[in-house]
Amino acid sequence: MFSIQTSGSVLQTLLKNHHTFYLMPRSQQLPAVFKCFIFTTSYQRAKNPVDPKAGTAMWRSKGRDEGKEERRTGKDYSSSFNVFSAGASKKRAVLLAALSNGEQPVISSKKTTLSPPEKPLSAEEWGKLMEEFQGIKQFEEFMFAQMIAHNSPIDVAKSLLAAVAQRDGDIGYNLLVKYLVLCVSQKQTKEIYDVHDILKARFKTLETSASSLLIKGLSDSQRWRDALVLLEEIKKFIIPSKGNYGDCIKAALANREINTACMLFHEMLAKNVTPNLDVLQFFFDTGKCVNDTDFKNELIYILNYLRNNQVYPGEALMESIKHWFESIPGEKWKGNLTTVKNSGKCPSCEQFLESINLTEEEYDILKEKIIKDVIHGTDTFRKTTPQELEVFQRFVNQRPPFDIVIDGLNVARVCHKNNPSQTLLDVVNHLVQQNLRLLVLGRKHMLNGSRQWNRNNMVAMQKKADFFFTDNVSEDDPFLLYATLHSGSHCKFVTRDLLRDHKACLSDSLTRRLFFKWQRGHQMVLSDYISGKKIKFEPVLNYDTIVQTTGNTWHIPYDDSNLERSSYEVPIKWLCLQQK
Amino acid sequence: LSAWLNKNTAPSITEKLDLDGWKDVMRTTVQEEIREGTSESEEDPRVAATRELIEMWRLSGKAVPENISEQDLKILIESPTKTSKKKYLQFLAKKEILKKVKKEKKEKQKAEKRELNPPTQEDGDRELKNTFLLKFWSRSEDALYNWRAAQAMIFGQPLVFDMDYENCMSRREMENAVKQLLESEGMNRRALDPFHLHYCNFKTDGAYHKELIKRYGDAWDKLFVTVTEKAHVEVFPQDQLVYLTADSPNVMQRFEHDKIYIIGSLVDKSIQTGVSLARAKRLNLATARLPLDKYLQWEEGAKNLTLNQMVSILLTLKDTGDWKKALQFVPTRKHAGFMDVSFSKNQ
Repeated sequence: MFSIQTSGSVLQTLLKNHHTFYLMPRSQQLPAVFKCFIFTTSYQRAKNPVDPKAGTAMWRSKGRDEGKEERRTGKDYSSSFNVFSAGASKKRAVLLAALSNGEQPVISSKKTTLSPPEKPLSAEEWGKLMEEFQGIKQFEEFMFAQMIAHNSPIDVAKSLLAAVAQRDGDIGYNLLVKYLVLCVSQKQTKEIYDVHDILKARFKTLETSASSLLIKGLSDSQRWRDALVLLEEIKKFIIPSKGNYGDCIKAALANREINTACMLFHEMLAKNVTPNLDVLQFFFDTGKCVNDTDFKNELIYILNYLRNNQVYPGEALMESIKHWFESIPGEKWKGNLTTVKNSGKCPSCEQFLESINLTEEEYDILKEKIIKDVIHGTDTFRKTTPQELEVFQRFVNQRPPFDIVIDGLNVARVCHKNNPSQTLLDVVNHLVQQNLRLLVLGRKHMLNGSRQWNRNNMVAMQKKADFFFTDNVSEDDPFLLYATLHSGSHCKFVTRDLLRDHKACLSDSLTRRLFFKWQRGHQMVLSDYISGKKIKFEPVLNYDTIVQTTGNTWHIPYDDSNLERSSYEVPIKWLCLQQK
Repeated sequence: LSAWLNKNTAPSITEKLDLDGWKDVMRTTVQEEIREGTSESEEDPRVAATRELIEMWRLSGKAVPENISEQDLKILIESPTKTSKKKYLQFLAKKEILKKVKKEKKEKQKAEKRELNPPTQEDGDRELKNTFLLKFWSRSEDALYNWRAAQAMIFGQPLVFDMDYENCMSRREMENAVKQLLESEGMNRRALDPFHLHYCNFKTDGAYHKELIKRYGDAWDKLFVTVTEKAHVEVFPQDQLVYLTADSPNVMQRFEHDKIYIIGSLVDKSIQTGVSLARAKRLNLATARLPLDKYLQWEEGAKNLTLNQMVSILLTLKDTGDWKKALQFVPTRKHAGFMDVSFSKNQ
């Protein structure tokens, strides 16, 4: 038993890969006792084989076609709402999938599942079963894993432990932990107490998984204070996870130990652990029953935390917040769910939301950071050269501020059916008609004259707008950012790029959020383009999507649970709270 | 115990089974172990706590090493996050297992050897065979290689390793880079017509130096390699230098015997794109990349190759000028095969 445990992980991986081979031939010759077992082995699957290699090959070639398809259609972009709105990327993905009308690859799982017995077995029966599966070296562990997967009754697990104890006179730590998993998932409080006491008595310290399980199990029970003790122990060598903190906070709140809960909450924030949304929800749910100004301030603090860290509540948390506000006695809050129009006016209370424009201070911070982190980075030569940067800065400084900066290469490739220089010319013409001062950024190769970059088109454009051509090996995006920021906050930029790699270059999360806010307010995305006929930009939002208050109103954007949101998108739904 | 059984609302069989007896077993064994546990641990509390944690992780079946040295423990305590700790432990566990397997294999081979020719024969009895050559020992081979290397150091074409990336690499990356460097040097030494290797921008007592001495030992001072603190631009005329980097816009057409190629001695496991290209740009050097896309149907993986693969490719190119032969050293998992030869010729 012990020699097996020593190299446990290796064996487990071996087991995962190979136990199918042990199980398959024996499944036919089982003794009658074990007829309650169900096997799904690779045997059945072998009857109608799917060549896994063929599958992946098919999938791969699909992937390639998809790419081509995307390039061909060009107008893959026509979405009715902003690129930064929740679900926009998902929508694009669906569109792409529809274009390639791809079938999902057949993923056949190779894992064998062996259903554990439904009733407790005696030690002898377990012994027989073990012999039957001699191939599986860690039979108990494997069986426990299956029990956890099938959520077997706890008595079955107990009977296995009893059998092991009878045989070895001892039960391994790993088996106890696995048993604990089962107990916690089925909320067997009594059992959790017992296992806790046994573990505590037997072992001087517990490792993280057992502690986490015990915290989870004990936090729902009468002995929730033991969970706090365990949390203290974890802190000795590792920062507890958000789950650990969350469980303890929930336990404290449920037992109305508000101070303990708040203390833990502040402690986890201080350690930079992001709380789960359901913990926050628990705070608000508790708030409905607790009528206390300190606690009210705590909840307002949480709302400010959401604001400062650009966290958006889910639908459940939003409901809790709404109910809490409406339950505050004497304040008469009224909550409505709305979506906000492009104008930034909330349809339910007719107030304007916070502007997306940065304050002067924020603007300066962002500008400085972009130059420092994005353009220079660790080495100015990685994105450009110092000479080129100097030339560019002189170029920008000499000219009056621009209204719009265009990423020439990106815009030119919007429509793949069209000649790139023609596309760019169309866009430039369209914007020039509106009397805007333009700067187009490109690379030197655009000037060489080729079929793609028609000389006449290039000359025609250069008469209408300022142009700056970077070296072919330089990156043009940092220049785009610099030129736009330099021209002032009225200046916008045109590109379809989501600029995520540049956002990632920024060193701290605060500037990253500033950058994202600035990007949402200043990026123009070409949404519809038909050569020579139609040019349309997505509307640039002029309000900020963030938790905000004016004292007698709160506006809280929240995530629709049916809509998948990517990290570079913001929610479109709002909770409007209004005092009447 | 009967109270337990009453609460279990299990069907009839359960009553026959003693489902909670194991708890008593566990409780009775408690006492002895506690005494054992408290007696030890005189060390630093953090070290002791970490040791205990590792022990418990091992018991719960996680991938952790059985034995851990003081040095590794220190690295472990210094790693900032839980994930980095777990990763390092996993790495150590893997290493330990490999070591164990190797040792077992060695012992097995030894035993087999002993069985095949039992040491019954005495030395005096053995009859001397009539042979044309004395046994060709590996030291004679080494002498031959060293002659060649010495010759290369006088007449050979230089190949430069730019060692200026010490600050860009983590500890692991540095270890890997040195390992690759060792292999490159070995590969070069065994070649028919070796390069004259230069380790340029080499910082004495830098991280590279320390790691190389650790690996080579005494052999480091006897190596037929030029090690210099000078930059390559100081040693060689600038117009002869070509910086090889996967980010270069220029594709290498053929191997030129009068150029001096530079390989950046950098293992990059993170995402620092364009570091070596930036360096070449700064020094205003010509750059080139291997024509991987032209000759291979690239499938997956980054186009940057390991140092030893680069050296093998360059050595083959130097000898034969044949791209197909040279690019055989590109790992096969990265590509689906060679392009049609006629097709690539037409280009």
